[in-house]
Amino acid sequence: MLKGYMILSIILFSIGIVGLISRRNIIVMYMSIELLLNAVNLSLIAISADLADSSAQVMSLIIIAIAASEAALFMSLFVVLFRNRASLDVNLFTILGGKE
Amino acid sequence: MQNEILFAILELISIISSVVMISAHRPIDSALSFIVTLISIAALFALVNATFLFVVQIIIYAGAILSLILFIIMFLNIKDENLPDEKYKNRWLLGTSIIITPFSLILIDLILRSDIAVHALRDEKFGTIKDVGATLFSQWVLPFELVSILLLVALIGAVTLSKKEA
Repeated sequence: MLKGYMILSIILFSIGIVGLISRRNIIVMYMSIELLLNAVNLSLIAISADLADSSAQVMSLIIIAIAASEAALFMSLFVVLFRNRASLDVNLFTILGGKE
Repeated sequence: MQNEILFAILELISIISSVVMISAHRPIDSALSFIVTLISIAALFALVNATFLFVVQIIIYAGAILSLILFIIMFLNIKDENLPDEKYKNRWLLGTSIIITPFSLILIDLILRSDIAVHALRDEKFGTIKDVGATLFSQWVLPFELVSILLLVALIGAVTLSKKEA
């Protein structure tokens, strides 16, 4: 079953990468990043059950904390970008390139 | 045996809902199906006795982060003209999946050849909050403190970013 966990983690990671590359909606891209983190967490938990070592569980706990802080920053980014561009299209977010 | 059936069901649910998540047009549909993915991943944690991580996954991911996303989606009042018109979305999805598939097949082949054991869990205490907490505060104290600084930085950054005028 643990091999199944690793394979599921690889499949979810690939789905996340496909979503991250091929979508242009910034909210979907953010959720794809979260899916990547979750796939890594899944494989860490499987390894921790395999080795009967709880270090991997602590690692995934820290990953969840990092994902939470990432979520806070992304949410404020969504608000700022949507206020400036009134769109969720990442192709329009070029404000760092100066005024057009 | 029972665990294998549960695992197969949860695996199917998580794959299907994540595929729906990356292919849905409206962000609210993606967010709702992502909640299903997160909860099935939490159930997968519980299946290998990681009870504390199961609780944390449900409280923080499905509870806090995803409800934050749903709130933002509702507050932004996104209409159809605010969404990017992804005319070739399905073609893009197909093309990237074709590119990604060989790499994941190589990885899956590696996993199948490896000798990861399939043993039932023996220790009742493994994965409880006491066990995880003991590891966290003995070997992982420094990363724990660094994460608290990171959370503080994220808090200040979020407030300064979303202020009306800098």
